[in-house]
Amino acid sequence: MKKTINFILNGHEVSAEVESHKMLLQVLRDTFGLTGTKEGCGMGECGACTVLVDGMNIDSCIFPAFEVHGKSVTSIEGLLGEGNRLHSIQESFVEKGGVQCGFCTPGMIMSAKALLDETPNPEDGEIRKGISGNLCRCTGYVQIIESVKDAAVRRTE
Amino acid sequence: MKKFDYYQPETLKEAFSLMEKFKGRAKYVAGGTDLIVRIKQKVIQPGALISLRGIDALKSIRHNGGLSMGSMTLIRNMERDAVITRDYPALKQAVSVLANPQIRNVATVGGNFCNSAPCADCAPPLLVMEAILMIDGPGGTREVPVDDFFKGPGENCMDSVEILKAIKVPDIRNPKFKTGMAFLKTGRVAQDLAIASAAALVSMDGKICRECRLAAGSVGPIPLRLRRAEKLVKGEEITPELLEQVGKTVEQEVSPITDIRSTEEYRRLVTGVMIRRGIGQAIGMVNGEL
Ligand SMILES: Cc1cc2nc3c(=O)[nH]c(=O)nc-3n(C[C@H](O)[C@H](O)[C@H](O)COP(=O)(O)OP(=O)(O)OC[C@H]3O[C@@H](n4cnc5c(N)ncnc54)[C@H](O)[C@@H]3O)c2cc1C
Ligand code: FES
Ligand code: FES
Repeated sequence: MKKTINFILNGHEVSAEVESHKMLLQVLRDTFGLTGTKEGCGMGECGACTVLVDGMNIDSCIFPAFEVHGKSVTSIEGLLGEGNRLHSIQESFVEKGGVQCGFCTPGMIMSAKALLDETPNPEDGEIRKGISGNLCRCTGYVQIIESVKDAAVRRTE
Repeated sequence: MKKFDYYQPETLKEAFSLMEKFKGRAKYVAGGTDLIVRIKQKVIQPGALISLRGIDALKSIRHNGGLSMGSMTLIRNMERDAVITRDYPALKQAVSVLANPQIRNVATVGGNFCNSAPCADCAPPLLVMEAILMIDGPGGTREVPVDDFFKGPGENCMDSVEILKAIKVPDIRNPKFKTGMAFLKTGRVAQDLAIASAAALVSMDGKICRECRLAAGSVGPIPLRLRRAEKLVKGEEITPELLEQVGKTVEQEVSPITDIRSTEEYRRLVTGVMIRRGIGQAIGMVNGEL
């Protein structure tokens, strides 16, 4: 079964014919060539595939593509800072060493964005809870938490 | 992954007739956090999914003295609901440690019940609140007390066409007594599936406990109400000695198994401890300590 779905992708109206068993992750990567969003486990455990749907962070590997019809999707490619620079959250991750191999990073940053949009000045516990659906095999999380703290400061400056 | 068709009905009637048409080859899907994962793991291979996301009748949370949650209420929205936070703290606690933000943003309370896992985090609090499940089918609506809903791991009292429409929680505030409640969960890491979970609700008349309801998850084929332990507490003053006895009774009343998450023995012990602490926290709430 196939259907044409229309949605807003990173601020632009898009439309695509997709098969009914496809998840949003596949549509982003294969149909739109947006490979910033990663597939780790494919089972809703690791958060590498995190994107925002109507502003909420979700695991795109278990989100049926048909369900984004009429909605707004933001992937890591949709984050942009002023003057075509990196987004402030991305800059914080670069500066505070929140990135090592980088595989978890796009998903981690999307969860950080969802957290900061709702809680502009999160406490440590709130940051931990906010990124608890994103696994990182490299950093040990300390630098990631520092990055999110730094991003919060930059955004309220 | 095997292909499946995907239907998005906008009314219950439409959903029923689609389900009748596919006779056993289709599954309803809510947030999909259990179902899609099971399809990807090849545990099940339905030919079609019928999504409940487009059905408005299943969506809202209403506060009408008690609480009425449409089955499609997101775990996230329960976590942020002011009335749940104020009046049903055991439920608030359960939904705020259920999985992680990405899952809570799509998972539903109806899915948590209908999946009928012994570890379903919403079950113990709603057992002690004696919730009523509103189940809709082509023939009409029926009301089932939460006590009669679960039938075994992954099994419940609904037939394959029926849809859980809403979960109603009676107003648990008692005009004569003060009521407190608590939910506790033990997992390998925070927000993991429960090794064991426990909920307690007490209504106090001074030092005497007039009403005591206890429940536990992940320690039997279904989420369990612990009536033997409850009987020890009802009508009594709650002393450390009584709590000791309650813990021992709980250890015997539950029927856990050993699996990848934990052992039978540990589950018995930890549930006894959690029920004791849960009663303590619930009394603390009555006394305004929390
Ligand atoms: C990483 C991860 C961690 C998790 N951690 C937890 C946890 O800590 N605690 C916990 O309790 N659960 C946990 N879960 C399980 C799951 O997220 C929850 O049980 C969730 O509430 C299921 O809701 P859903 O809307 O996604 O259900 P779905 O997957 O859409 O549905 C589950 C089942 O119920 C049926 N169904 C759903 N809604 C209805 C309805 N209204 N009427 C009739 N049938 C219906 C479906 O057909 C399906 O069989 C976790 C899952 C993942 C992937
Ligand atoms: S790839 Fe989606 S959660 Fe791991
Ligand atoms: S940086 Fe390698 S997994 Fe996080």
